[in-house]
Amino acid sequence: MVVLEASGIRKAFPGVVAVDDVSVSFELGRIHGIVGENGAGKSTLVKILDGVLRPDRGTVRIEEEDAFAHPRIFANVSYVPQELDLFRNMTLAENLFMPFRKAGFKDVLIRQSRLYAEAARWLELFQIDVPPSRLAKDISVSNQQLLQIARATANRLCKVLILDEPTTSLTTKSISRLFDVIRQLKNEGRSIIFISHKLDEIFDLCDEVTVLRNGMKVAYAEMQDVDRPTLIRQISGRDIDEKFTFRPRAQAAQDVALEVEGLTGRGFSDVSFTLRRGEILGFAGLVGAGRSEIMQTIFGYLPAKRGQVRLDGRPLRLGDTHHSIHAGLVYLPEERRAQGILPLLSVRHNISISALPQITTRGMISAGREEVLTQRIAQAFDIRTASLERPIMFLSGGNQQKTIIGRAMASSPKVLILDEPTKGIDVGSKTDLYALMRNLVEGGEVGIIFISSDLDELLRCANRVVAVYNGRIVGEFLTEASSKNEVFRAMIGEKTNGRNGPLQ
Amino acid sequence: MRAAPEPVGPPAKAAVKEGAARPSAVARVVTRVRQARTGGVLIAFLLIIAIASVASPYFLSAFNMQSVIRSLAFLGIVAMGQACLLILGELDLSVGAIAGLSGVLGGILMVWFGVDPFLSFVLGLVFGAIFGLVNGLLVTFLELNALVVTVGMAGVYLGINLVISEGKAIVDIPPQIYFLGQGIVLGIPMPFVIMLLVLLVVVFVTMYTPFGRYMYAIGNSREAAQILGIPVNLVRMLTFMGVGLLSALAGMVMVARLGTSQPSIGETWVLDSIAASVIGGVALTGGVGSPAGALLGAAIIGVVQNIIVLVGVSPYLQTAVSGMIVVAAISLDAISRKIAKARQ
Repeated sequence: MVVLEASGIRKAFPGVVAVDDVSVSFELGRIHGIVGENGAGKSTLVKILDGVLRPDRGTVRIEEEDAFAHPRIFANVSYVPQELDLFRNMTLAENLFMPFRKAGFKDVLIRQSRLYAEAARWLELFQIDVPPSRLAKDISVSNQQLLQIARATANRLCKVLILDEPTTSLTTKSISRLFDVIRQLKNEGRSIIFISHKLDEIFDLCDEVTVLRNGMKVAYAEMQDVDRPTLIRQISGRDIDEKFTFRPRAQAAQDVALEVEGLTGRGFSDVSFTLRRGEILGFAGLVGAGRSEIMQTIFGYLPAKRGQVRLDGRPLRLGDTHHSIHAGLVYLPEERRAQGILPLLSVRHNISISALPQITTRGMISAGREEVLTQRIAQAFDIRTASLERPIMFLSGGNQQKTIIGRAMASSPKVLILDEPTKGIDVGSKTDLYALMRNLVEGGEVGIIFISSDLDELLRCANRVVAVYNGRIVGEFLTEASSKNEVFRAMIGEKTNGRNGPLQ
Repeated sequence: MRAAPEPVGPPAKAAVKEGAARPSAVARVVTRVRQARTGGVLIAFLLIIAIASVASPYFLSAFNMQSVIRSLAFLGIVAMGQACLLILGELDLSVGAIAGLSGVLGGILMVWFGVDPFLSFVLGLVFGAIFGLVNGLLVTFLELNALVVTVGMAGVYLGINLVISEGKAIVDIPPQIYFLGQGIVLGIPMPFVIMLLVLLVVVFVTMYTPFGRYMYAIGNSREAAQILGIPVNLVRMLTFMGVGLLSALAGMVMVARLGTSQPSIGETWVLDSIAASVIGGVALTGGVGSPAGALLGAAIIGVVQNIIVLVGVSPYLQTAVSGMIVVAAISLDAISRKIAKARQ
């Protein structure tokens, strides 16, 4: 039964038509996937379905009623954003039922015991094994994610649940737990809209799928009628061969650029490996295995307990990011929004910030040389923006990523560490990024460490892959000669015949 | 801002896309003004000037103008410093107390110990820089919150001030330094000249040096700045120190102007400097705005206070009016941002 129906939706912003004549309907008891590149119009559409944005044209009907004429019925639709937005210093129970009135607590005074009893039921349903009196900030990230969905569902009216990339920061185990819960909600007869860049999840979970491209609906299919290559072609509008590899030529690899020996720090111990100039070294592992911690320690952002890092044969002073950058070691963090971009500054200033010494004469930044430098980087890295003066926060995720990689390369580093650079980036931009990494490395000046939770992408891009499990390096594989299965077993902690220690 | 003699949008954009041509100097100034969010303030300022000159015939008289810009100078100097800290994502609530204490210490050196007045003037500035540095060290090394630290330190500085001076003014300041506060060069009061010099230095540092860029970067995201290898704590510390120095400068010039060291110097500068920054487009959350904008903000506050006196409104109403300007300015800013967001 159709519960939510949008027809002929159009929404334009100055200079861009975000959603153009899209009609789509959602049924109770089904999971409907929405896929598309960054900027395809997914979030605009979803905001219209949720009643946050008003369309220029078209109608949204909820249970046959014109929703924008009776905005109250938007209460039937709950949107769960990608970013966590819990009340961190309040209890799980309070998080679940805020606002209390809407959740059925109509008394002037809230009785704590009743609140907890009610909350316990919901927590159990969502397999969150934590007492309801705990503070939201004190539970694990995956539990927080589940709590966020539970909160949306606890609203009694909620018939349509919109999940926007709910799995980006979850471990494999918690993803399957989340999917169990989603399926259960579906069986209860709710309608679920699921947005994700991960096609595996779409195929695993959804009953039907709608593809958006450039604001238009380009395809709709029952899941059993569509295969992966077709879906990818619909999403990106071009043929992308997922088997195609981007490994740098082996002969590009030269002398050792980075040597890590017996490094021990917060959450990992006794890590040793080497990286050559001209190669891409992949780091595989589950979320929480300690990959980011290892890299941030090498880079000097986190303190090291023991061990040594040598860059070009010279020992690196640990715990000092300023020194690392000057020595030629650059780290691009996974949390692009919080730790990567300088959101309010222009694209130009975001690029030049790490190359200021090069363009400064007698203490003064030369506007001319800054212009030349930023133009060169913007072109070389294909940064698409109306103007370099635009604040970077308005660029798409893919373009932000290209900007900060361009920024990193502007200081001519010897070693570049990319921590989950493809997170939240669509298929087409990912492929661009792979090619970009290969080209950088084949230039022969730089070695890249590439961290990713997507094993396929590591095997396609890296020359070697190191598997990390529980804070230790448990194996190292030449990607040409290794199967996915082999690496996967190492990264989930099973014994393998993957060689331990660095290959020479 | 819209009326600037610059060809509308497309040509400038095209230049950027083609890559070869550099935007014209005018275009760059326009972008700078736009980025610094000072355009709206400039219009508001001109509007207030227009209203003021209609409301009172005395407003534009040479004498009144001199007095307006002389009193503007003090708040202007402090506000530019405060703006630097706000851009960095910090703030200093002890600027007034630092000005007062430095003024008293400088005065004591001259009067009680007979130190050369100019040397004492400079030593007063050094004291200010040290007080600022203490704030900075507490904020960076102990990772304390700037608001709490500087409220606390304001109490400490004011307390020391009152203990030493016993709450009384230090009189008989040597007349050699009076010209720094009372002198007039080419019709322009000396404090205003000093403020213009400060403006030059601060604008140069914030816009044309790596140090300035680092300030904006840290204000945008301290974590990102750390990961970019920017010496975050050094920049924060030095900025606190600079702000201490500027506060002391305002305090010392005030001593030269009054001919006495009043322990109460700087009392109103704390909130007014923050208000001026906010009016001038500096975000309380850091990362945007410019010290020049803060100076404009200070000018708006100064002109409004002046016109209240000129048209004979009760002085009791002045405080309320100053408060209203702040609220009106930030409301306008919020409204314009809402409009910009809706357009995005």
